[in-house]
This record gives sequence, structure tokens and C-alpha cells, in this order.
Amino acid sequence: MGLSLPTVPSGEANFLTTRLDYVVNWARRNSLWPMPFGTACCAIEMMAAAASKYDLARFGMERMSFSPRQADLLICAGRVAYKMAPVLRRIWDQMPQPKWSISMGACASSGGVFDVYSMVQGIDTIIPVDVYIPGCPPRPEGLIYGILMLHEKIKGESLSNPALREEDPSRVGEPNLPDGVIEELALPYGNSTNQNKVSGLVTTTALTRPADRKP
Amino acid sequence: MSTRTVEYLVQRTPEMAPGGRLVQVPVLPGGMEPELHGEHMLINIGPQHPATHGVLRLVLELDGETVVKCTPHIGYLHSSFEKLGEYRTWNQVIPLTDRMDYLAPLIYNCAYAMAVEKLMGIQVTERCKVTRVICMELDRIFSHLLWLGTTAIDIGAFTVFLYTFQERERIYTLHEALTGARITTSATRIGGMMADLPEGWIRELRHFVDTVPRTLDEVETLLTNNQIWIGRNQDVGVISAEDAVSCGLTGANLRASGVAFDVRKDRPYYDYETYDFDVPLGEHGDCYDRYLCRMEEMRQSLRILDQAIERLPAGPMNVDDPRLILPGKTDAMTDMESMIHHFKVVMEGVKAPVGESWFSVESSKGELGMYVVSDGGSKPVRWRIRGPSFINLSALPTMVEGSLLSDVIAVNASLDIVLGEIDR
Amino acid sequence: MSDKPFTDALEDLASGASGGPQSASPYGEAADASTHESVAALVARFGSAVQHHAIMAGDEHVVRVPASRVMEILRWLRDDPAQRYDYLADLTAVDWGGGRPIDVVYQLWSIPHRRGLRLKAALPLDALEIDSASLLWRTADWLEREVWDMFGVRFRGHPDPRRILMPESYAEGHPLRKDFPLRGRFSRAEQTRRALAMPVHEHYSAQEIAVATETEAHARREPGESP
Repeated sequence: MGLSLPTVPSGEANFLTTRLDYVVNWARRNSLWPMPFGTACCAIEMMAAAASKYDLARFGMERMSFSPRQADLLICAGRVAYKMAPVLRRIWDQMPQPKWSISMGACASSGGVFDVYSMVQGIDTIIPVDVYIPGCPPRPEGLIYGILMLHEKIKGESLSNPALREEDPSRVGEPNLPDGVIEELALPYGNSTNQNKVSGLVTTTALTRPADRKP
Repeated sequence: MSTRTVEYLVQRTPEMAPGGRLVQVPVLPGGMEPELHGEHMLINIGPQHPATHGVLRLVLELDGETVVKCTPHIGYLHSSFEKLGEYRTWNQVIPLTDRMDYLAPLIYNCAYAMAVEKLMGIQVTERCKVTRVICMELDRIFSHLLWLGTTAIDIGAFTVFLYTFQERERIYTLHEALTGARITTSATRIGGMMADLPEGWIRELRHFVDTVPRTLDEVETLLTNNQIWIGRNQDVGVISAEDAVSCGLTGANLRASGVAFDVRKDRPYYDYETYDFDVPLGEHGDCYDRYLCRMEEMRQSLRILDQAIERLPAGPMNVDDPRLILPGKTDAMTDMESMIHHFKVVMEGVKAPVGESWFSVESSKGELGMYVVSDGGSKPVRWRIRGPSFINLSALPTMVEGSLLSDVIAVNASLDIVLGEIDR
Repeated sequence: MSDKPFTDALEDLASGASGGPQSASPYGEAADASTHESVAALVARFGSAVQHHAIMAGDEHVVRVPASRVMEILRWLRDDPAQRYDYLADLTAVDWGGGRPIDVVYQLWSIPHRRGLRLKAALPLDALEIDSASLLWRTADWLEREVWDMFGVRFRGHPDPRRILMPESYAEGHPLRKDFPLRGRFSRAEQTRRALAMPVHEHYSAQEIAVATETEAHARREPGESP
């Protein structure tokens, strides 16, 4: 948007820049302010992670910011419906850089048990995701493990790599992945192709894929 | 049912006049300065908002700070459980039931299993009945504890949230010991439970039942006679008994308005008529009464748990019917009959006769109804969930129109809604 | 030991026999009206409007009525002092598929008399219209919106006939119908694109937009200018 971060020219890492990177990354990862985008059951586990037993405050994350403009980390906890998708995209767009995102739970990562007409099959089709946490719901320890993984990722970042924090303003509000990739990721697989038939002898024009069924 | 009088300590939030006196300031709808021409303001709360308890969106038309019109918009979590249920066998639906009301999953598991067992005409064993009563009452406490924590945090009392979540962690441990999962328990099966109670579970449960009243007492000390709590909750979100029944409110919301309707008392199931417990009834239909009703409901649930633990009989947990229940592993590996039954139950699913059943239980949110329709196959033709929160939320505009903006948050919290159940 | 039962079971599975519909009518066997006070009173008052009465699942009484008489029957059930069905527990619909009529189901409960009753009205697929019960019970408001959204049944006289769970601009149809595929009619990429491209005014109802535009117009007026 016209502002550019003060960066060193790419590739010119020296003693000062690595020291600077170390300090900046240390500061960023130890005070990640989460934007809790909690929708369903995973949100309850996120709340449990924030409570006394699994305390997120020891990571500097107890200050849950509900305004995206003051948040660093979007934790999408729970299933996202297509009706909710523009909201998620908008909140992601409203977060200023540096920002990261965690997709918590099976539904946010891939649609989970809900391979249905109204559910987004993974939020990475809408926003870029840094860490995926599987589970239904993942235990609070799982969420913490994912956060620590994100810490490792942040440790490896560098200010001399401007592509990390780049965002294309013309792509605000657009899906994150191209159409072909979305289709490929959303193909039913495994047992879900066998669970396509409705009850009894009721005939439907429901989509059946006999070729997908295992012999 | 027993009644309990609520003492009124303060009528309205008082304000300070010069000189330090407290004066009551009435709120006139339409503003106090009619010569100022104003238009109504439209504001949007949610769907991403800390105080909406999920992805609820409220569009409010405000005249200053008074709410003229409130429109809830839902559907931001619509996961089409009802459609999915038509593509899953009767037992495969059970994991779906956890994910609707994720605050009281065992109640949903039990309600669905009970509806299908009614459809099939199956009588579960005595041990299973008492175990399911234990599960349902435990989850009622589980849900009310979360309601208490989040309502307090919405009004501003953060400590209560930490206290109640600490108690909930103990119930999480119980869930995990029973089923392996903290929240999404999937504990029941058609004809019984997924497994018998583990060793020492009843001892842990008894310890929980004996020690949780201490936390409830502490929370009551913090909240019940607290001027701020009273000021924000008394006379806020009042709904009359006739309106409540017409709007279809159920649960503590209805009972706080003075209507004596509890499915456990009016349409008892699983020998609830033989348990000795009271159902609290309110008078004024405001948020404070709903708070008191739910606090008392928790204590009554502890009473039921006490009795259920005493009367838990020994014996088999599951019905002895090979068409429903998977045979034990030793049998399935050695006996041909058992192996065939195992094969049929897993591959084809349990079959229900032609018919339907509408069965309801008293969930923590209200009357939870499960309507299952079968055409003789192994999958439902229709699975309908009458989610109490869906209908409770439709009464929100009635409760909130005419009050202040901050009251909307208090009323929304006192309704105890869960969006998974609303949007299904 | 013979493998026959095992291979039979395998063949059953391969041929897709998952247990078919029984020869019994899905309406259930006709039951005696005198077993339920309200049913007896209904028959006495409305006579042939009570098309069928059955007892399902042991103790649930189900009465079938024609769609054209549903409103007066429900009103009588709510208002008659001996019936007093003041609480509408549920209002939903069942699509049996294969071109069969859609059943609209009313689950009633009387709080003073502690009695329940289920009413059903069958609607043919080319005439999916019925009177709205929202004038009788306020519960019916949202419940009927959901039936419209999921099944496409229109409720005459409903104050706010909008979709409730799906977005208003949802173009794929009515999801709970049997001819609607589980994963929807459009491809995932199309659904994603449509979801993200929803214009702002889609998120608000027409009345809400009217309020907002009026406020904006007012804000732009000069002081002293009349509206």
C-alpha cells in the first residue's frame, strides 16, 4: 500500500542483520497476540488452552485481541461454512503484517467430517495457513504444540526476505488457491466415496462414484 | 416443583447525582430530547465477536443507545448435520451428535440413542439406564459451568471464568477416562454404551460431586449479591410467561418466567420420576432469575448424581442382541455366528423397522428433540434435531427490544445458546 | 464348518440389499381414535378431516390432516380449553424422495394437560404451499423459515419469508430435498468463489438497508435542510 519495510537487499546477510533478525524474531514469537476465530468445538479447546490448566499466558498469548488490527496470529478454530468464508477472508485482510495463521482442527484444515454443500473444505482455500493442527478437537497440548511449531517457523524468518511479509492488495477478498487446486483438494477419497448412498431403496440423483469404490 | 422467592435489592442501575447521592434514572425509549432530529443507527454485532458465544450475527437498529429492533442472523456454522445423517448408518450418526452441542456432548449422544432405541423398540439394561442418567446430569453441570464462566466474562467478571474452567477440566478428565475424548465423546451406541465404566471412574465421579459445591459456593459469593451483577441482570431481558411459551422457550429460560415445564418431570424417561430432585422456578423472567435457576439446577444435578451413583447396578451394559451390538473380540474370532454378526453389523449397519419417533430430553439448554424416520433400512430417511437454542434465540428480539445496547450482551449470555445446535 | 452363511452375507452386500422397505405402510397401521383424548375430540369435531391416525413407536399419536384444513385444526387445538396445545415443540418436514409428497410435521405439547400430539400434512411436489402457523405460535416463525430454506415449502402469510441457514443468494436449491446431492450442485471452486464474492448488501435484509441508507442520507444533509 505504498509503505515498505526497511530491509537490507536480499542475500546480503551479515553479522548485524542476523543479530537483528534474531532479536526481531524473538520479540515477534514471544508475544503473538492471537485473533481467536473460534467457531465450534475447537474454540472450546482453545478456551481451555487459555484457562488455568494449559495456560497460554506463558507464551505471551493471554491477550486475545478481538480486533484484527491489533492481532498477530489468526487461530481459526472450528468449522467454517461458506457463509462465514467472506468474514474469515475479511478479517485476515484486515490484519496488518507481520501476521501468521493457524488452522486448528480437522474441519479448518480440510473440512473434517463435513464433506457437505455448506462447508469450506479447508481454510487454506481462502487464507494462507502457516501451521495445521489435526484433531477433532485437538487437545490443548496439541494447540500448544502447533504454536511452538509456529515459533520455530518464526525463528527461521529473516527481514532480508521481503517476500515473507508481502501481500498483494489487489487480491484482497479473493480465494487463496486457484480453482484447479481447490477442486483437487476437495475430491472425496477413501471411505467417503462409499458413504454416498441414502437410506433404503430411495433413489436419488445424488452423486455416486462407483469407480472410486475399492474392489 | 419448588419455588424460591428472589429478593430484589436494587431496581435499576443507580447513577450518582452531584453531592454523591444515588438516583434512579429511568430510560425513555425514543430519547429524552425530542427536539433533536435523529435517525436510527444500524450496527452489526458479529459474526466474529467475543461476546456472541459463537458465530452469531445481530443487526441492531438503535435510537441512541436504545435498541429499537434486533435481528439475529444465523447460518454461519450450518454444517448440515441433518443431511449428513441421511448418508450415515444409525451408529455412524453418533459422532455427529457430539459436534452439535459441543458443551454437553453426552446429552446429545444419549438423546439420539434413546430416540433410535424407541423407534426400534429396544429396552436397554438397567445399568445402561443409570449410566446414561449419570452422563446426562454430568454434562448438564458441564454445560452450566461454561455458561457461568462465559456469562461472567461478558459482564466483566473474569475470575469466575478461570474457576469454572478449572472445574470443567475435572469433567474433561472424566470424559476422557470414559470415552477417550475430552469433548467429542460419542459414548453411546444403539442398544448400549461404547464401553463399560472404567475402573475407578465412579470413585473419581464421587470425588467430583463432593468437591464441586465448594466452587459453586465461591462463585455465588462473587456474583449473587454483587451490586454490579444485580444491576446488570435484574430487570434486564424480561419476558412474560405467555410470551415465553408462545416463543417456544424451554429450559431455564422458560422456568425463570414462572412456567413449570421440565421434560424430566412432565414426560419422564429412564426412571427420573423415582429420583428425588427439585426443579427451580423463577418469577420475573429476567436475566437474574435465569442465573439463579441455572445455579440451582447445578446443585440439583449433583443431587441426582448422588442418587444415581448409589443405585448403579452391576450387570451387562449393552443389550444382548447380536443384531445390534458387536460381539466381543474373542467370540468374533472363534465363533462363526459371531463373526457373521460382526460383519453384518459393521458393513450393513443396524437396521431399524419402518416407522418414526420423536423423542425429547431435558438438555442443559432446554427441550432437545430428536425426530428419526426410518423406512426399514440401515440409514435414516430423516433425522431432525429440535435444537433448543435455535428456538431460544428466536425469542431474543422480544427480550431485547426497548433495552440498552449493553443489555443485549447480558441477555444473549443469559439465554445460554450454542451455535452448533442453532445452525446444525 | 460351512462357509455358506458367510458367503451369503457377502453376496447380500454385493447385491446392495441393505434391507428394503417393509410391505407395511409408512403411515403406520390405523389406530383407534379413542386411545387419545385429543384425537377423539378431533374426530368428533372435524370428522373426515382426520385422514389417518396411527400410533408410532409405542406411544406417539400421529394424525394426518389435509393441508387446506391445517390452520383451523391447529387453531382449535391451541384454543380449545380441553386441548390447550399452547406449546409448539417442533415444525419440520420430511422428504421421502422419488416424487412422493413432502410431509409437514407439527409436534404439539400441552403444558397444562401434559399431552402431546403430532400432526402431519402431505404436500404434493407441484403445490408446496401451506398456511403459516406463525400467527398461532411465535415459535413457528423461524421454524417455517428453516423449512422454506431446506425444503422449498412456502408458508402463506409468513411475516418474513427469507432463508435462514443458507445465504439469501444461495442458488443451488433446497438442500434437504432428496434430489439435492450431499456436496451441492456447484463445484467447490465455484462455491468458494461465490461465497467470497457476496456483495455487502447481500448480508442485510431490505429493511435493514433502508434504515442504513436513511441514516446516511440524514448525515449528509445540511443543518436546516428538511428531509
